[in-house]
Amino acid sequence: MRLPPRRIQPGHTVMIKMPSGECRSIKFDGVGTISLGKFGSFPAAELVGQLYGLRYDIAEKTLKVIAPPSIEDVEDTDATNELIRDSSSIQEVTYQEIEQLKSAGVLPEEIINKQIESHASFALKTEYSKDKYKKRKQAKFLKHFSTIEPTIHNVCDYWFKKDQSRIRDIRPDALSQMMTLANVHPGGRYLVADDVSGLLIACMLERLGGEGRVMNICDVESPPVYHIVSYMNFEPQMVDNVLVSLNWATADEMHEPILAATEPMDGQKSSDGQRIRMQKRKLAESALFETREELFRGNFDGILIASQYEPYSVTERLIPYLAGSGSIVIHSPYIQVLTEAQSKMRADPKYLAPSIAQPWLRQYQILPGRTHPMMNTSGSGGFLLSATRM
Amino acid sequence: MWSVAPTVASGDTVILWLGRDIIQALVVTPGKVFNGRYGAFPHDALVGVLYGSKVFSQKERGFLYVLRPTPELWTLALPHRTQILYLADIAFVTSMLAVRPGSTVIEAGTGSGSFSHSVARTVGSKGHLFSFDFHQDRVDKARIEFLRHGLHQRITLAHRNVCKDGFGLLDRADAVFLDLPAPWEAVPHVKLALRSDISARVCCFSPCIEQVMRTVAALNENAFSEIQTYESLLFPQETYSNPAPPPVSQITNALKESEIKREQRRLRQISNAQLRKRKRDEDADDQNLKRPRLQDPAPSDPGSSSSVPQPVPDADPDHRAPADLPDNPPKIVVSKTIPEVRGHTSYLTFAILLPSEFRPRSHDATTLDTNIEQSATKQEQSVQ
Ligand SMILES: C[S@@+](CC[C@H](N)C(=O)[O-])C[C@H]1O[C@@H](n2cnc3c(N)ncnc32)[C@H](O)[C@@H]1O
Repeated sequence: MRLPPRRIQPGHTVMIKMPSGECRSIKFDGVGTISLGKFGSFPAAELVGQLYGLRYDIAEKTLKVIAPPSIEDVEDTDATNELIRDSSSIQEVTYQEIEQLKSAGVLPEEIINKQIESHASFALKTEYSKDKYKKRKQAKFLKHFSTIEPTIHNVCDYWFKKDQSRIRDIRPDALSQMMTLANVHPGGRYLVADDVSGLLIACMLERLGGEGRVMNICDVESPPVYHIVSYMNFEPQMVDNVLVSLNWATADEMHEPILAATEPMDGQKSSDGQRIRMQKRKLAESALFETREELFRGNFDGILIASQYEPYSVTERLIPYLAGSGSIVIHSPYIQVLTEAQSKMRADPKYLAPSIAQPWLRQYQILPGRTHPMMNTSGSGGFLLSATRM
Repeated sequence: MWSVAPTVASGDTVILWLGRDIIQALVVTPGKVFNGRYGAFPHDALVGVLYGSKVFSQKERGFLYVLRPTPELWTLALPHRTQILYLADIAFVTSMLAVRPGSTVIEAGTGSGSFSHSVARTVGSKGHLFSFDFHQDRVDKARIEFLRHGLHQRITLAHRNVCKDGFGLLDRADAVFLDLPAPWEAVPHVKLALRSDISARVCCFSPCIEQVMRTVAALNENAFSEIQTYESLLFPQETYSNPAPPPVSQITNALKESEIKREQRRLRQISNAQLRKRKRDEDADDQNLKRPRLQDPAPSDPGSSSSVPQPVPDADPDHRAPADLPDNPPKIVVSKTIPEVRGHTSYLTFAILLPSEFRPRSHDATTLDTNIEQSATKQEQSVQ
């Protein structure tokens, strides 16, 4: 088997990395104009069928694929930043001049070169700060943007940077560890409590590849829209036969769900519209009963939780449906929440070896003569509690 | 992969869990006996029990848990033939390389097969793993394990020096993972083995930063882009149910009380001493009736003798630490990182190889490329 290349199609949610380095997403319909604000605009049709992950230059309202920059071997020189004055007067090209150059159609690269030429102290700067200076200028003027391939890693990273609390601090490394700890594999059957806008579900769906079961227990009456799932641009077969939902009431064996009427009231004639509505209700009702039956039959392979509810109360509800030797994996932004749950699990022989761990991640800059860990790093990817069902 | 039946059958590979640090794999073989730290367990007694059961030893002295194998448990139980990858790195590599069901992945070297099991699980029956090692014995042992674990159809093993001879695969893999001492030597071959119609990915796993520098240079020269280096770790946390830390008012009061007690005792000792002295004096007076009594301090005036502190015997329990704390303070649950953690495994260097027409300008000689390409086409059959 050869996985098909991921290409941009109308209906997709497309993540874009802007020339400034910021990311945003567009609901892509393939028609009209896509505007990237001050960076320019282009006809949407230009992107239809394109491979994800490429970099483009917006030139004359059309797109040109450009090669990504390769690392320039910047050797450190003897220059230091010692003699450089920190005033803006040393920047000889004025804002007005830049605007004039731009409207005269001068290419961004040329503007940058012009600035560098006239930057009085540029020769005095170290190679390092020259590089930094160039990067800053490039970000400002170049109209290069890239599309981001919708891998689960990229989607998680996108949301972690955009709205970390919405995904309850699940950093990509933590998400991948959840999948590994829970032995998520194609054909497996999992119970999920996703209060992270569908991030966990999206990841499960990708790892199941269209085979198996993700049963999400939600805290609203009917299944919510799992916003982040749409970022994966799944083919329908990746989702349709895999994902089902219950809520915490319908997932309760002792509870008889109260359902909307599926028969017209006695002696009343019903319109076509009503009949169709009744028909739909009946279908929904039988789907609900099937899902309940499936839950109560149990024998699931794993429980994965990224939820606002107290974890032990969640696992106690779901563990009867977990097969022996099945895994329980819980993510929380707060270790206190997990330690409380863990101490309850320890006193309960159903749980083997409940353990807590903190994911840690650090990125490095690798450049000749200036290799070091990145100055800024994420300090909070949450915590993981895992255990095995006895 | 492994058995999916609810109960253990003869011939199954099972994981025996004897403790957090004692996790062993076992092929259930009727007639055999497993002798562990906690007693003897005949294999026959395991047949038919539910996975996830507690099983007692023959003499009911000890017990163990029987678990269904997973790649993660296998990593903890496998026989070490080399250094291996653990969960944190495996998970992160899988995620960054975008490995999913249906992916074709290449790894070198196979080593002890820790990474192989996890990736084979994730790519599923529709995906494939090509695994290479130039150490014959490791290849042979891995072959037996893959067969026994039902992975032989989704893993192709080859005995090969990938730095010298490449992978023998052309335009084939979605991702390549290199855990070798000199990954940079294999980078030109990786370029050929990766698919040319997608953004394909590579990861090089090296413990030393010098290796990383050489790898990054090689990746850059070979038109890879988005080169990124990470370290990924998991810090295990320990949890305790401890007495709640007492408020300082508690010890303040205890100290005040013991201060008062000490003072009372001192006064008692003084008055006792005075009593004794008076007794002695009276005895003496009986002999020297005429002698005038001088410097007789009033027994009820402690202030006048404060400059003469009474030595306090060490053994006196009242004068040691607080004795008045409550016997059963409330318990609270606390946690901290375990004292010694794995602080470094390796640097993970990732890069992307764009489809051929979009790659950055390559510095390497094209002649080298075509040479390898020709030999790679020939070698492809040998791996299949
Ligand atoms: C550290 S081990 C790999 C461990 C493996 N990743 C695991 O998780 O079990 C490195 C392996 O690479 C193999 N190796 C080293 N250089 C090689 C080369 N040029 N070609 C093929 N295999 C090589 C060694 O024989 C060794 O078994």
